[in-house]
Amino acid sequence: MNRALRRISIAVLIMFVALLANVNYLQAFQAGNLTNKPGNSRAFAAQFQYQRGEITTADGKIVAQSKNVGGVYKYQRVYPQGLEYASATGFDSLYSASGIEAAENSYLTGNSSKLAVRNVIDMITNKPRKGATVQLTLDSNAQNAAWNALQGTGKAGAVVALNPQTGAILAMASYPSYDPNQLAVLDGTQLNKNDQALLRDPNQPLLNRATNVTYPPGSTFKIVTSSAAFTSGNDNPNTLVDAPTSLQLPQSSTRLINNNGEQCGTLGNGKATIITAFTESCNTAFANIGMQLGSATLKAMAEKYGFNDPGLKLPTSVAQSNFPLEPALSFTAMSAIGQKDDTVTPLQEAMLSATIANNGTLMKPYLVQQVQAADLSIVDSPAPTVLSQPVSPAVAGQIKQMMLSVVNSPDGTAAAFKNAIPGVQIAGKTGTAQNGVNNSGLNDAVFTCFASNGNRSMAVGVIIQGGGYGAAAAAPIAVDVLKAYLENG
Amino acid sequence: MSSVATSEEPTLGGMPDSALPMPRGRRRTEAAMLIFAVALVAFAYANVGLGLKGTLPAGMAEYMIAFVVLLAIAHLAVRRLAPWADPLLLPLAATLNGLGIVMTYRLQEVGRDGNPGTMSVPLSSSATLIQIVYTAIGIGCFVGVLALVREPRVLQRYTYIFGLVGIILLAMPALLPAGISEVQGAKIQIRLGSFTLQPEEFAKLALAVSFAGYLVAKRDVLSLAGRRLVGIDLPRARDLGPVLIAWGASLLLLVFESDIGTSALFMGLFVAMLYIATQRTSWLLIGFLLFVAGAYSASKLFAHVGERFQIWLHPFAGSNPFNNAYQLVQGLYGMGSGGILGKGLGAGQPYLTPLVQSDFVVTAFGEELGMTGLMAILLLYGLIVQRGLAASIAVKDPFSKVLAGGLAFMLALQIFVIVGGVTRLIPLTGITTPFLSQGGSSLVASWMMIALLMRLSDTARRPPPQPIQDEGMTQVVNLP
Repeated sequence: MNRALRRISIAVLIMFVALLANVNYLQAFQAGNLTNKPGNSRAFAAQFQYQRGEITTADGKIVAQSKNVGGVYKYQRVYPQGLEYASATGFDSLYSASGIEAAENSYLTGNSSKLAVRNVIDMITNKPRKGATVQLTLDSNAQNAAWNALQGTGKAGAVVALNPQTGAILAMASYPSYDPNQLAVLDGTQLNKNDQALLRDPNQPLLNRATNVTYPPGSTFKIVTSSAAFTSGNDNPNTLVDAPTSLQLPQSSTRLINNNGEQCGTLGNGKATIITAFTESCNTAFANIGMQLGSATLKAMAEKYGFNDPGLKLPTSVAQSNFPLEPALSFTAMSAIGQKDDTVTPLQEAMLSATIANNGTLMKPYLVQQVQAADLSIVDSPAPTVLSQPVSPAVAGQIKQMMLSVVNSPDGTAAAFKNAIPGVQIAGKTGTAQNGVNNSGLNDAVFTCFASNGNRSMAVGVIIQGGGYGAAAAAPIAVDVLKAYLENG
Repeated sequence: MSSVATSEEPTLGGMPDSALPMPRGRRRTEAAMLIFAVALVAFAYANVGLGLKGTLPAGMAEYMIAFVVLLAIAHLAVRRLAPWADPLLLPLAATLNGLGIVMTYRLQEVGRDGNPGTMSVPLSSSATLIQIVYTAIGIGCFVGVLALVREPRVLQRYTYIFGLVGIILLAMPALLPAGISEVQGAKIQIRLGSFTLQPEEFAKLALAVSFAGYLVAKRDVLSLAGRRLVGIDLPRARDLGPVLIAWGASLLLLVFESDIGTSALFMGLFVAMLYIATQRTSWLLIGFLLFVAGAYSASKLFAHVGERFQIWLHPFAGSNPFNNAYQLVQGLYGMGSGGILGKGLGAGQPYLTPLVQSDFVVTAFGEELGMTGLMAILLLYGLIVQRGLAASIAVKDPFSKVLAGGLAFMLALQIFVIVGGVTRLIPLTGITTPFLSQGGSSLVASWMMIALLMRLSDTARRPPPQPIQDEGMTQVVNLP
């Protein structure tokens, strides 16, 4: 009988080894994996047990921090300038997160593998655990100017400002906005109430219009059309093109006219130089140029500028700006002047100007300057990277010349801003996009521009929904942001 | 292996008086280990209060004194009634029982006195006290078994009586109305007012004794070889009766009480004992195949059983984590959050797992004591099993051998089924965790099983009577 007993002992040993191995597997190897499984409220509550990292602007202004309030959830998130920075910070609630709070969550909580060694050291030395600080690229002066100007219009819209040389996002504001503090409350019932109120608000405050909503670019797309024309080698700013007062589009009943049916330029023979057509924003001239180039050429150029790219991350998500192929000539003509199915985010508008300001090279836009662990060591600082080279420096120079003319020439669509900032020359392009069914909606005002004071430079994109003329509604906001940034640097 | 062989030092008549020192009985080792067990439990108990409130728990002194007194009674009873018993069994059981009391206190404090959390089924404010009362009853029964069963072989006489008692105990909940007996879809208890009794806990012991008696009596017939198939001697077809009856009974249990865990436990117990008694591998295979076939068809036929398999295979799929897999998944999350070193007693959130005080108590330990603590607890069980198997190998008479081996294997199987179930090694079936789960029946039955194992090891280690050479010194002395 002892032989059977010994075999039973071995079976028992195997059973216990299996249990011990499984406990090891669960608690040592699977622990991290289990943290991210659905319905794990332990893990979710755990992140409120210690201090989450701060979010600051590039100049050190705190825009999100965790404060000790006691209770089951020890730390509550506080956003000192909630509305102004919501489009960048997003929110961190009991159930979910958005914006930078979501995109940089592993750093902010301290769960990132790059922080693992520090966490172990903190555990041994019994230091309270604290997440890493995420420093944004935002400049508080520029952001403040952008937010105040947007708020001043009272209309839905957004501003994005870039550093053309690096791609760093200097301002990103969306209006109407929401107060993330309302979603940071630790009382679940109150949170649900606040969340429902925001979701039901007809003004859609939770939308980040700066990067996640697209609008028709209108005439600002003429930058892309010009880029394609000059890159082809056949045209330069002084090339004469057909710019009739009215243009019958091929195979279509649509007659395209210039703004208010005006004549383009002063030659009076139905022709104008490209720079004149650009300065006065003549639709017929660019419709003709677009039809000559063809939709495929336009699409290729648009894509170099960042259109049709679903993969861009700041690291927050970005809606894709669209330029679909329009083989029908009448549609090609419309798309060449930023109508038809062209759509852009305000970020894409800023990228257009940033490319020209940076001699034709488009830098990848980014929102996070660096990540600093609680012990002040830098754990992540993304280096600026080139996204593409849409145009050569020579072509960029030609387009810059035209964009300066838009502001400096007395006939320019943005001539009102010639001396808006003393000592600084602004290069820009206005856009006034028709939208709605049968263009019944109010025109969206669009403006993209850049300027430099020799020391700092900035590219800005502004879209105001239903704002009317780009020069009237969007350009003043862009100028405010430029001013705030260039005069403080 | 056998301590019998090494017991050479002559003692008075081979039946020592408890007042005299007994170097071979190792009762001092037991006393020292008990002190260690008490210290460990007291430390853990203090830890709960410190973890929750930063102060020692109220009533700690009284509870610990009661615990010490109970263990002292048990120890003195062993000194008197089973002086040669294994010195580790009592301290091991005491440690586990003490940790059970600690966890009961920890869970009782959830949501009370400003402590965080809410229990799905809150413990009463006197749960710890009640658990200590159950411990007292358990130790009372422990002493009772030691006192009544002086020789394990005596039990063999009552083979069929124990069998009948076991079957009645098992069948009782199934025959009673669901209002009295059903808990979470399984009919396994008898509820009388606020007091509940789980008769299957006692049925396990009665049936173990009965199986051992029956198998030892019939083992010569059962070991007869029939046909040979791929190197295995099959038993004769006519001898298949007992194993088929056990199988049928365990299936009935499954069907009428929806209790797959207990069903597996009985089948395992019977087959293991059959194997020990006959040494026929074929019995193992037959028993195992029968159980797998039965469980498989049950999973197809009964939604309650089939659901267990689905939960096991896909706990995180779809809405499972929020519906029928909620308890399992929350238990796993608790263990995951405990990690390697645990959150510390009082610092985790075991209350998020529904009914964590009963079947899932192991996950509460995993969360608060971590992988390290849980492994230590598993090793405590492993040691009890190993001590039981060692006694089984050392003991001479076949009945005691089969009984000790069966009891030890049943404990191992029970731990495997419940710990494996909550850690998702095997499909989850609700059975209690001996000594740790909150509740009386399991605790009392576990103490009775420890008493039986100690009686068996006492028999195994007892020095043989010395040859009679001096009539004056070899009076057989009856113990008072």
